[in-house]
Formats: sequence, C-alpha cells, structure tokens
Amino acid sequence: MAFLKQIAKGLKALLQRRREDAELDEELQSYVDAAVAEKMNAGATREDARRAARLEMGSADAVKEEVRSVSWETTIDTLWQDARFAIRMLRKNPGFTAIAVLTLALGIGANTAIFSVVNAVLLRPLPYPNSDRVMMVFLQDPSLGLDRGDYGDADFLALRQQQRSFDGVAAFSSPDNGFALTGEQAPEEIPGTAVTDAFFDVLGAKPLVGRTFLPGEDRPGQPPSVVVSDRFWREHLHADPAAVGKAITLGGTSHAIVGVMPASFHFGSNDNDQVWPILQLRAPVQRPPFFLTVLGRLKPGVSATEASAEASHIATGVAEQYPRSNKVTALAVPMKEVLVGSSRPALLVMLGAVGLVLLIAVVNVANLQVARSAARQREMAIRGALGAGQWRLVRQLLTESVLLAVIGGALGLAVAHWGLGAIVALSPGVVPRMDEISVDAAVLLYTLGIAMVTGILFGLTPAFRLRARRIGDSLKQSGKGSPETSGSSLLHNLLVISEFSLALILLIGAGLLIRSLSRLEAVSPGFDPGQVLTMRVPLPPAQYKKASQVTSFYQQLLDDMESKPGVRAAGITMSLPPNLLELENPFHMEGQSYEPGKATYLAEEIPVSQDYFRALGVPLVAGRFFDDSDRDPSRHSLVINQTMARRYFAGKDAVGQRVQTGDANPKSDWYTIVGVAGDVKYEGLDAKEQATMYVAYSDDGWCPWFVKSMSLVVRTTANPAEIASAVRADVAGLDSTVPVTDVVTMDQLLSKSVSGPRFRTVLLGTFAGLALVLASIGIYGVLAYSVARRTHEIGVRMALGAQRGQVLWFIMSQGARLALIGVVIGVVASLALTRLMASLLFGVSATDPLTFIGVAALLFAVALLACCVPALRAMRVDPVVALRYE
Amino acid sequence: MTGKPIALVQGTLDMLILKTLALEPLHGYGIAQRIDQISRGAFQVNPGSLFPAFRRLERSGLIDAEWRATENNRRAKYYFLTSLGRKKLSTETKEWGRQIAAITRILEAES
Repeated sequence: MAFLKQIAKGLKALLQRRREDAELDEELQSYVDAAVAEKMNAGATREDARRAARLEMGSADAVKEEVRSVSWETTIDTLWQDARFAIRMLRKNPGFTAIAVLTLALGIGANTAIFSVVNAVLLRPLPYPNSDRVMMVFLQDPSLGLDRGDYGDADFLALRQQQRSFDGVAAFSSPDNGFALTGEQAPEEIPGTAVTDAFFDVLGAKPLVGRTFLPGEDRPGQPPSVVVSDRFWREHLHADPAAVGKAITLGGTSHAIVGVMPASFHFGSNDNDQVWPILQLRAPVQRPPFFLTVLGRLKPGVSATEASAEASHIATGVAEQYPRSNKVTALAVPMKEVLVGSSRPALLVMLGAVGLVLLIAVVNVANLQVARSAARQREMAIRGALGAGQWRLVRQLLTESVLLAVIGGALGLAVAHWGLGAIVALSPGVVPRMDEISVDAAVLLYTLGIAMVTGILFGLTPAFRLRARRIGDSLKQSGKGSPETSGSSLLHNLLVISEFSLALILLIGAGLLIRSLSRLEAVSPGFDPGQVLTMRVPLPPAQYKKASQVTSFYQQLLDDMESKPGVRAAGITMSLPPNLLELENPFHMEGQSYEPGKATYLAEEIPVSQDYFRALGVPLVAGRFFDDSDRDPSRHSLVINQTMARRYFAGKDAVGQRVQTGDANPKSDWYTIVGVAGDVKYEGLDAKEQATMYVAYSDDGWCPWFVKSMSLVVRTTANPAEIASAVRADVAGLDSTVPVTDVVTMDQLLSKSVSGPRFRTVLLGTFAGLALVLASIGIYGVLAYSVARRTHEIGVRMALGAQRGQVLWFIMSQGARLALIGVVIGVVASLALTRLMASLLFGVSATDPLTFIGVAALLFAVALLACCVPALRAMRVDPVVALRYE
Repeated sequence: MTGKPIALVQGTLDMLILKTLALEPLHGYGIAQRIDQISRGAFQVNPGSLFPAFRRLERSGLIDAEWRATENNRRAKYYFLTSLGRKKLSTETKEWGRQIAAITRILEAES
C-alpha cells in the first residue's frame, strides 16, 4: 500500500515538476523569512538577520538538489536529461553517429534475422497442443545400418494393439508423388499423406469444417475417406462447406471428403500436403516391407526411453512371429527433433557467426568512442570540476552509447526484416518450418537485449578510461595535438587486434564452406547432365492393375518420344539422380551361404527401361545394357554398377554371375548380371558410392507393383519447353487421367541438390564479408586517428631528417603489426572453432591448411590496403605545417 | 549552549522530526527551532538535511503537509503526523530505549 502511494506520489511529482519546484522554493523562502523574523525579534537589525539566515541556509540550490535526490523519480529525470543531452551530442557529430548507428544496425540486424530463424525452427514448439509429447517411432536395424528406419504394417498393427505408453499411435505413408486427382479437370497430382485413423488425434489437430477420422475408419472394407487442406478446399472445392460429404477421386479411387483442416495446420516436413486420405492396412502376411512412419502421443509421465523400451519389446515379439525377418529395436524420438535436428548444427554455426559480426561491430564503435572520448576529455574534466560525480559522468557516457545502440537496434529490425526476406527466398526446402518465421515478442526482446548489452559494452570502454584519468591532468593538457597517451593507444591496439581475430574466424569458416561447395559441385553425378529433361508420369494405381497395362502405356510413350525429332534417347526409371532413391533391397550372391533372418548385403535397386542409360548418359563398363530380349518379364536380367562389381565380385567377372534379391528365400528367382554400368549418385552428391542394381521395369518381380510412378528422362537437342509440351500432348492422347509433373532439367535438379550447402555458404559468406569490411574500417579508423594525433611528431621526425619512405614504413608497420597479431590469434582460435562445423563440410578438413593460409593472407592484404591511406597521408605531412600545428 | 553541536546519528533525525510533530503541526523553521531548543543546542539541524528528511518522511507516508497561515500571517507549509507516523514513532521510541539501555549497560560494565 505504502509502496503504491510512493509510486503515485513520485509519478505526480514527475508530471508536475514545475509546481513541485515552485512549492519547494516557496517553502525554503518561508523558512528564511521565519528565520529573519525570529532573529529580528531577538534584536538583530534586518540586514544582520538576513545575512545570518542566509548563512544558516547555505546554498538554496544545494538544498533543493538534496531534496530532489531523496525521491526515486529524480533518477528517471536525470536519465531523461542524460538522454536529451546524448541526443544533442549525437546530432552535433552526425558523421560519428551515422557510422556508429549503421555499423550497429548491420550487426544487430544480422543477429535478429538469424535469431528469428533459430527461434522459429529450433526454439518454438511445434504448432500442436503439448507438442513435446508427440513422438515419431522408428525401427532400428544395426545389421543394415538403419538408425531411424520405417515401420512395417505388421509392426505397426502390433504396436497399436499392445502398447501402453501412448495415448494413441498413428501411421502414415507419404508417397513422393502424392495422389493423382482425376475427375472433371485435367489430371493433377496432389501432394498428400495417407494416414491411419488416429493421425489427427495424436497431433491434437482440429478440423475447420466437418470432422477428422473416426476410430476404425481405417479398417479394410470401410468406404475410403479423405481430409483435405484449407488450400485444397479453396482451390478445388470453392471453399464450399457443403463439399464435405462429396467425393473426389484420388489415385483412381473415390474418397468421401469428411473434413477440412484449417490453413494453420501443417504437418512436419510435408507442409505442402493438401490431402490426407485414410490409410487402410490389411492384415499383414509378411515382414518386411517397411514403409510406414509412426507417430505417437506419449501419455503424461511416460518418457521417450520407456516408450522406446516398450516398442522394442513389441518389435521383438513381431520378429518372432516372422522368423525369416530381422530382429529390430524401436526408438521413439520427439517429432521436433526429427524435423529440425539436422538443421541444428548449421543454424548454430550461423548464430555464432552473427555473434562474431556483432562483436566486431561493437569493437568498431568502441574504437570510435575511445577516439571521441579523447577529444571530449576536457568536457568531462570541466563537468567533473563543476561537481559531477564520477558515476554521474559514467552514466552520461553509458546513456549515450545505449541510446546509440537502441537506435541501431531499431534500424537493425529493418535490416533483419529485409534479411529475413532474403533468407526465406534462399532457403526453400533447405530449412524446415521456415513458414513459421515471424518477428514475435521473443525476437523483439532478444533485439532489445542485445542492443542494451551492446550499448553497455562499447560504452564501458571509454567509461573505464575516464575513471582511470585524473581530472586535474586533463584540464592541464592543452587538448589539441597532445601526444596520444600510451593507455589509449594500447586500448585502440587491443580493439583492432580482437577485430582482426574475429574477422579471421568468420572468413575461415566461410572459406571452408566455399571450398566444400566447390568440391561438391565438382563431384561427378556419374552421367552427362547436359541437355537432359526429366519429369514424372505416375499412373493411377486403380486403373493400372495389370503389368500389361503398365508396360504398354510406358512403352508406347517411350516409342513416341524416341521418334520425335530432337530426341536422342528416352528412358524411364523409378529413382532419379541425384537425390531421389526410392528403394534399397537386400541381395546375396549365388554360392554364398546365408542363414534365414540374418542380414545380407544391401543395394539400391531400380527398375528402368532399356534406353534409360543412353538417355542419362551413363557409361557402360562391361557387358551390355538391357536390350529387347529383356522385355520378357521372366528374363530376370540385372545391370549392376561399378561399385557393386568391385565390392562383391572382386577378382572375377561380374557379368554372368547370379544373385537373389529381396528377402532371403531359397525359392525366389535368380537374376543374371548382364552388364556393369558406371556409378550414379542417387543419394546426393555428397554420398559415398553405393552398390546399385538395375532391373528391367517390365520384370515380373517388379511390374506392376513397383512400376507406377516412373520418371521420364529425355536426352534432347531441342528446347526443353517444347519437349515438355510434346510429352504432355502425348500422355493426354494415351490416357487423359495420367498427369505429367515435376518437369525440370537435370542441370536444375543438380543445382537444387546442393541448395542446402549453397544456402549456408552464401549466408556465412555474407557475414564474413561484413566482418571483413567492418574490420577494415576499424583498422583504417585507428590508423587515421593515430596519424592525425601524431602529425606534430611526424613533422619533428621529418624536420630531423626522416625520409618519406621511412614515415610510410613507420605507419604501415604499425598497422601491419596489429593485423598480424590479430591474424595469428584468429588462426589459433579458428583451429579450435572450425571443428564445430565439421559436419557441414564436404571433401575439406576443418583445418584445411590451404584455406587457413589463403584466408589469413587475404585478410592481411586487406589490412595493409586499409593502412595505405593514412600512411600515405602521413608521408605527405609538410614538416613546416606540422610544427606550426601546435 | 553546552559544547559543540553533536553530529546526529544516522537515521535519528527522522525520529526527532516525528517526535517534534507529535506535539503539534509545525512548519520547517519551527521544527528546526524546536529541535534546537529541546536539545538545548546539542543538535543543530541545517536545512540541507532537514528538507530532504521532510521529503523522505512525506514519501513514506509518515508525515503529511498542508499550507497554512503562520501566527504572523505568512504562508508556510505545516507538517503533521499521519497515523502511520504516530505508530512508527512509538515503535521507534521503544526500540531506541532498548538500544540505549543496552549500550549503557555495555559501557557501564566496562568501568
């Protein structure tokens, strides 16, 4: 209560300061009057009484100051005074202010931008209620090197039935191709995920219109239903609430729309999803296949470890039911971790990088402040002599620098806004959750926080110097042209050295990323990417149930394409380099002993058409590619890649050898190797070489089950756009319900495949460039300042016979020494720090000597360049003018 | 006057002011005079410490003030005790008594 009254009184006093002041004046006056009256009563003359009373009172101003200092609002008042004074000082030095504010805006802006990303991606919880309990459950099979492997239907159904750790579990399967939407319009492929009944309940997501799936709706035999996205509802259903209950045809099957999800609903990395058809799982007959991802919502009080243990126990039971399958364990991982875990190292490196940039900016401004405070020594000394306490002076300086930093921070928000736009534009598909980025309270607080800390940091440097200085000494100094004190030049030097070490760390980081990127881009994908156009032509599964339907469609398409002028070869494939691998399969060689249930070797296995190799430009190493004879579905020919030949058929001719693929089963078909092709990267340019097997797409082990969503590869001398429209026309002629999607040239695909590394490189490169510029400005400023202060000294030296060359050398060596020390410290620090980014590098070690030496040399050269201007100025000093300068 | 004025123990000025006002509302000069008189000149309080003390006590709600005419018809700011101030004075007085007694005991035990 009393406390509140205090505040109320203080606020009143603050608002009515003039009245309060007048009242105090009047009170003091009445005190003096009373004293005078008293003294006259005692017999003094009026004059004597007045003098005595005034003597008793002392300085009325001092009393008023004392009274004011009692109340808390005075602090605010002085702060306001300080701020107004600071604004006046900053306006008097527009050059200094502009440079400082700009430097800070860049530093703070970069930090705000990166923090916004980190905040949205790493810090904020996923947009579901109690999202920390949403887990993804994986199967681990160490024998196959599977760390986070998919679930199979057998395992999922067992888990759903037996588990006690989760409030609910759901499985989903997201085909890369999405679902072909057919009906009145041209066929279109809609990205989507097939999900089991509890999917939305596990996430805790509520529909906008209609309902989500009911328990049991995923039982086989139930009429298929689908939940659609807000976007789909708007684009395809005219946002009509009555659309719920109607049917759409997805993948050739009619699905009843039961609900619409709100626009705010996103699901993980599949955030383009527009439809969620129900996933109906039949009673499993075998294990594998593994093709499902499992979601579960942990019960309160159950840990991920406990859930993993229970799921592992269940998986062991399933393995016993299917004796030929592998023993696996299960692992529950928080969904957020699955989603963003892989971007964490890069983002943290970026956060560290912008932190360094800000430090450099702070050092730069501190440098300017130190130089300026030297010029303001007399001002400070006079204020001190007039009675300002040391703390009061420090506070004044701090107010100035915090004000600078806050202005810089405000401008930094604008920089961040612009920078975020650039980052988002650069990063599609590189960083997850980018659509969730926003400048929220956390970001604003962070910005304000770093602005304050920044201001205090660079405000304290000159303030400490002020403390160390005796007021009398400053007053005695003439102020102008006095030689630099050793203390301040030491401070300058330390600042420049630290700037250079920080800049070097950033530059080396950026250098390593640039080298990695160029290494990565130099990796041969294993084929000739020029003049290759790719697209996907997926067949609606419901209409293409028989192998003959599939092969006749694709064969007709390929024949049509190859007869077109400008087309040199056309082929189809299930997996497309450099980044789309659909399937890996176990295999074993003839004559090799194996035990059922024990893992064998694993190879990428890809059904392709005859001319696929020619269309892509894959070299033949031995034997032959597929030919017409392989169109026979029971011919069972294989083309393997060089790595597989070298790894598993070392010392003998692979051609003619036989292997069995898929699960170990003595009764399965033998495949004969007919040729060896060059290695092709299907798992990214940065992946190690993998064993690959190609099988003819018409093979009866594959067609029609796996041959539904094929990519078309066309090698052409014609304009890609023409070819694309030719394909569209041809496909429409063959079957109007078949869509053509993802039309893109191979060059574009390759470029897109390195967009992650490129994103990181551009970002870190920008920050390093910024650091380089700031550090150069820093060393330039310090040397220019030092030359200006030493004009007199230089004049004396020259008058005494120093040559201009010597003066040049004298100044240059001063700068060079600082830069060199900074570079050496930076190299040592980098040796320790670059290890943190080892996971981001490709083909370059974290301590790559070439990068270290090259970058250090570059930085040193830039430093010398920055030193040139002041050094040349020093060289041109006219001794006569310089001596008169005093 | 008996000897030189004594420097006030930190915090005792507030108590003296409260005690002075316990008798009747007074203006600043009146308070100074009263303290001077009652202490027989032992405590001389100057405006530099008196007025900040008024402000302090006013802010903590122990005293309040109003402008009134003085006996010789001038305007002056009269301070008076609030009920909170009265309570504070009685507890402070007791506390002071206990402290003095304790200190005295210690000093006398010494001799």
